[in-house]
Amino acid sequence: MGLDAASCPQVMISRPVVAGPLAGLLLGSPATGLWIGALLEILTLRQLPVGASRYWDTGPAAVAATAAAAGFAGAGGAVGAVGAGGAEARYVLAVALGVLVGWVGSWSVYAMRRANARLVGALGERSVSPRELEIKHLLAMAMDFGRATALTALGVIIAVALAHSVDLSFGSADAAGAILLAVAASLALGADIGTMQKGRPVFVGFFLAAFASGAVLLWLS
Amino acid sequence: MAELTLMLRLRVLARSLAIQGSWNFRTMLGAGTAFALIPLLSSLFKGEREALARAVGRHAGFFNAHPYMASVAIGALARMEFEAADQEEIQRFRNVLVGPLGSLGDRLVWARWRPLCSIFAVLLVATGAVWWVAAGLFLLLYNSAHLSLRAWGLGLGWREGRRVGAALRASPLRRLPDRLTIPLAVISGLLLPPLALAIGEGSGVEPISLIGISLILAAAGYWRPATVGRAAALILVLGSLVMIVLANAA
Repeated sequence: MGLDAASCPQVMISRPVVAGPLAGLLLGSPATGLWIGALLEILTLRQLPVGASRYWDTGPAAVAATAAAAGFAGAGGAVGAVGAGGAEARYVLAVALGVLVGWVGSWSVYAMRRANARLVGALGERSVSPRELEIKHLLAMAMDFGRATALTALGVIIAVALAHSVDLSFGSADAAGAILLAVAASLALGADIGTMQKGRPVFVGFFLAAFASGAVLLWLS
Repeated sequence: MAELTLMLRLRVLARSLAIQGSWNFRTMLGAGTAFALIPLLSSLFKGEREALARAVGRHAGFFNAHPYMASVAIGALARMEFEAADQEEIQRFRNVLVGPLGSLGDRLVWARWRPLCSIFAVLLVATGAVWWVAAGLFLLLYNSAHLSLRAWGLGLGWREGRRVGAALRASPLRRLPDRLTIPLAVISGLLLPPLALAIGEGSGVEPISLIGISLILAAAGYWRPATVGRAAALILVLGSLVMIVLANAA
């Protein structure tokens, strides 16, 4: 998953909506991972991996966030102690951890790209055997693999520590969590639309028509 | 004229999947482009080690493009090498391709196709799809276009060679980002109500209010995307810290 974001093969298994449920499957709760992945997916929609821009490393972020959510659920009353509720509060903390891991990941990618410049940056200035280029290129990918593995491990360790030390046993955690998630998701979705389509009345018209249709369909059902 | 055999094509396509493996701030995709071109260059310069090393070095210099669209450049550069084009012409050609291949790929894939597939997957989640359906359909939908684009690009580049710029301008691909605008608008609009309801139903807020508030918040994001996009993540991080403090103080 760590390699997929940029190095190879970019088939998007590193996107949260895939990495989340896959991590959840390993931890025994793909449905939890799916929701974590969906929330992180919305938050990262507007981060376009263009040129030299920094963007969150979504694979490790989704794995760490899912591990945190599964950890809170698995600990049950001992840690969560919110009975049947507390799901949304759990999700808020888990997604926040994912955001932080993704952000740290963006800087680790930045550092790795600087290291890559030292590794392969001068190859274009001289004759170079195919073997030498292949070895250095594969070495850069191995570094990326190591970076992503270390980041994921760090995220999961923090997730486990959080699950064993954070007490969510207060009555309003559920409602507060739901509101926080809904606000963040709506803002992020709006920001994504704004980034891609600013100033296009046609887009806004179709968006509003679809929004109204979706709301009516929900009301009818 | 040399042939781009099926085996050669597959080897180049497989290597192009790793074209960003050594992406760096100095030569960007340079080393990755040379890495993908090696099978083609090896078949051209068979038994000429020095000429092969010079060609590999030539292609390891600065180059950048969208990673999927880079296959267009790989095909065209290979064609020029097979036609024994002048080295300076090859270098100029590489530099000319950087802008159009980056811009078209970014607009088409990163700004349209990937968000479209992502929002579709999240819509499935919000409407109750099981995990393997949402994740599986996302991968299937996204990669059907992704892999087709890479294969098509390599073929186009090889077929057109130094005329690939004109071929790209004439291709329907150029207008595709604009044509994906309406599907993206529709699916974004459809997503918001079920998403707000699915997430917010535990909050105790009336469903109709929840949907209305989500539209107002989305409008705020639309008008100030840079500020509000960061604010969404900050709200979650700071909110979770507040929740931890409150929970432990209770």
